[in-house]
Amino acid sequence: MTDTLTLNDYGLWYDTPSGPVRILDDISLRIAKGEVLGLVGESGSAKSSLANAIIRDLPGKVHAEQGTILLGDQDITAASGAILEKLRGQRIAMVFQNAATTLDPVQTVGNHLIETLERHTTAQGQAATARAVELIEMVGLPDPQAMLTRFPHEISGGEKQRVVLALAFACEPELILFDEPTSALDATTAATLLDLFRDLQARTGVSALFISHDLGTVSDIAHRVAVIYGGRIVEEGAVETVFSDPKHPYTQALMASLPRPSDGRTNRGLAGTAALPAPRRGEIPPCIFSASCPHHDAAICDAQQVRLTDSDDRRTACARVAKGQILHTPAAPNPAPSPRGDDALLQVESLTVSYGSQRLIDSLRNRISPHVRAVNNVSFKVRRGETLALVGESGCGKSSLARALSGLYAHDGVTRLGNEIIPSNSPAWRARVQTIFQNPDSSLNPRHSIGTILGRPLKLIRTDLAPQDRAAEVARLLTRVRLPADYAERYPHQLSGGEKQRVAIARALAARPDVIICDEITSGLDAAVQAAIARLLREIQAESGTALVFITHDLGMLRHIADRVAVMYLGEMVEMGEVASLDTAPWHPYTEALLSSSHSVDPDSETRRVRLTGSLPKRTEDLAGCPFASRCPRHVGAICDSQQPPRRHPAPDHEILCHIDASTLSAVPPIWRFSDQLETQQ
Amino acid sequence: MSTFYALLRNPQGALGLLIVTILLIVAIFGPVIAPNDPESFNFGSRFAAPSMEFPFGTDWYGRDLFSRILIGARSTVLLAILATVIGTGLGAIIGVLSGYLGGWADEVIMRLTDAIMAIPSLLFALMILAALGSSALNAVLAIGIAFAPGMARIARSVTLQVRALDYVAAAQARGEKLGWIVLAEILPNTIAPVIIEATIRVAFAIMTLATLSFLGLGAQPPSPEWGLMIAEARDHLFRSPWPVIAPGIAIALVAIGFNLLGDGLRDVLNPKTAD
Repeated sequence: MTDTLTLNDYGLWYDTPSGPVRILDDISLRIAKGEVLGLVGESGSAKSSLANAIIRDLPGKVHAEQGTILLGDQDITAASGAILEKLRGQRIAMVFQNAATTLDPVQTVGNHLIETLERHTTAQGQAATARAVELIEMVGLPDPQAMLTRFPHEISGGEKQRVVLALAFACEPELILFDEPTSALDATTAATLLDLFRDLQARTGVSALFISHDLGTVSDIAHRVAVIYGGRIVEEGAVETVFSDPKHPYTQALMASLPRPSDGRTNRGLAGTAALPAPRRGEIPPCIFSASCPHHDAAICDAQQVRLTDSDDRRTACARVAKGQILHTPAAPNPAPSPRGDDALLQVESLTVSYGSQRLIDSLRNRISPHVRAVNNVSFKVRRGETLALVGESGCGKSSLARALSGLYAHDGVTRLGNEIIPSNSPAWRARVQTIFQNPDSSLNPRHSIGTILGRPLKLIRTDLAPQDRAAEVARLLTRVRLPADYAERYPHQLSGGEKQRVAIARALAARPDVIICDEITSGLDAAVQAAIARLLREIQAESGTALVFITHDLGMLRHIADRVAVMYLGEMVEMGEVASLDTAPWHPYTEALLSSSHSVDPDSETRRVRLTGSLPKRTEDLAGCPFASRCPRHVGAICDSQQPPRRHPAPDHEILCHIDASTLSAVPPIWRFSDQLETQQ
Repeated sequence: MSTFYALLRNPQGALGLLIVTILLIVAIFGPVIAPNDPESFNFGSRFAAPSMEFPFGTDWYGRDLFSRILIGARSTVLLAILATVIGTGLGAIIGVLSGYLGGWADEVIMRLTDAIMAIPSLLFALMILAALGSSALNAVLAIGIAFAPGMARIARSVTLQVRALDYVAAAQARGEKLGWIVLAEILPNTIAPVIIEATIRVAFAIMTLATLSFLGLGAQPPSPEWGLMIAEARDHLFRSPWPVIAPGIAIALVAIGFNLLGDGLRDVLNPKTAD
């Protein structure tokens, strides 16, 4: 039987003003009928370019292409436009990362589906509409008839991605390409979408290429996995084999930088040495990974071009592995937690942030204008040397809270530093509380040198520092975040993503703050860079005793950065406690769902799946009951919808906002089943 | 420097750069190159067609048109650039401030500029000249002020995008003053579209200046300002076309040169098309 897709020695070079750039080379892959191949790699590994090459839609100016791409028996590398038009949508479908931009905002959901069906299948008119309804039912969307007439802006992000999935399955293609389909979605939504895809895939027997940077997601969905680095496949094999026992040094490094649910028990640390970007121009070294490889041995590795070689259970592109050598990447030690003080540095009492103001017209009509309460009556404190993680999904109010604490948004409630009440927009607050923003690309002014960027807080806040000492202080700050001191003369665009975030950290440190607010500072970075940033923050905290408020949606990182955790849902803090308390019940039902939907590659644990259904209430509604009531899998009855839940204290310093009492919550089955060895350790 | 090389690789940009460079050389060294005195009369050769002695011909007093154009380049081109700089600077600061402040301040400033933009820029310049009195420098000022609202609109729309970025939030969070945020954080990041618009406006400025001189409100005779030259030559159009054609082509060349340069810069400074 022929495979659905076969790539033979495929290579791609783009033309740029500064000469040809190697994008992909020496790619040999195949996807059998009914098989899902996962393709994992970090940013810049050209994993999306491979999808572009397969669907024959290359965004760049092609310098050269070599090898063949076979769809079934047909070579599509040389296919004409007319042939490709027939292929796309009908035999190959594609699902992009961002459903919001994939769907045309002026076309209804029905039009999208019907147009695709009428163009590529024999179904026309009534038949196409009937098939569209069938497809919408198939992807589990409620009320299919009504859904046909909806516009993309009228449905939620998760629903949009379901529509895109329905579009992909519409013509019963042989192959579907997924380019990071769940990266833009919340964990709980992504989990249900993956379940749906797994179910549809089993039913239709479609083949798929599943591209993702998230190894956990891939391990959940794919049969085989290929690891791509610098435009070459470095290791390929069955998911269980590759992930449980990686052989290639790059795969090993990648796995070592990923957090696992069992880390709390094994005290495993994260490796933070990121691989260098692979060479793209000029002479290509025999082994693409040689510049970053800890096991590089010139005699063996540089002898000849390193290609994928078969061993009994996988293919690996490593000369030493091919010789039968077994390479080990040593585990990184976990940094010692910084000493925590007893004095609260930051205290927040009943903080509320709301958007929207009373409009004149509504006042005249005696109505209250709709307003959104982004953060509702939140109180917490952070002690010296302590990290409080604020977690929650998009729209839960964590960023509004961060901006309120940075003095950027007006809010109600009391903020204290030490025991003094200090308003968050006062100079005294600004001098002692610093913020690191999510995206260093937008938080560092591209027109300012690193020296200027770091010099401003010195000038404004460190008034004790003489102007002539500032340059020396800038150099000291750069060294402190492990960057060379001569970076002061560089501009942000000359730095990599991780380096930029280090500069942003140095800028926050420049003011010698008591409290640093980190707003999603590790999302958008590769896992190894994330691990390195987390390690750096830990070290700085141990030296200076700074209190950190670490905002994130990534639960995996929590065990490596935070001491305490607060879970937010729709502006409310539904649970707060020690990070260690996350490992065992009781959990708030939302925390339980959140923890169980995060994917990770962990040979030492198995995760129980909790799936959320139901929809979020309107943000402008005033909720009488629990904010989570509409989606709660442990809903206990009318009381959830009508009464505010009480704060329960299953343990000192552990708070759960729920109608269910603590002992019942403690009795729920565990989320993770750890390997026997780890279970007995407890 | 990389912008410069990228500009040379862009066909429009390279041609525009060539024309503008020649123009600037003429503007600076014109009086040195000019073979004849622009104001000396040669009654023996009035209305001469182009020849070796008079490359562009002569006018009704027998003055050498080639020399007059070379010397007039300085006042025409430099004054136009000056007018554009005034208009761009004023407009950019108003626009960035308005975009950054937002709310009521933005509404008031933008409605005012809308009102000014409703008046044709020539008419508006005429009004300013009527108030200030007619002279070459007042004409420059009038054109500069008339250009400001259009530039303000462009600067404001770019500012609205830049204002939402985190480096502005970071500056606010560390307590920077309004002046630093507007001048150092936002303005440098809005400059690319503003510069592009400015190069295109230089051509407009030359034409408006020429029009004002034509109407007798800018440069005064016997100055060899190009617009004025056309205005004066109009009476003699049927005796000889050369006194109109020569400065007319010169103005057209400047307009084309700056427009090409603007188009080239637009492609080069746009990060999406630059690579």
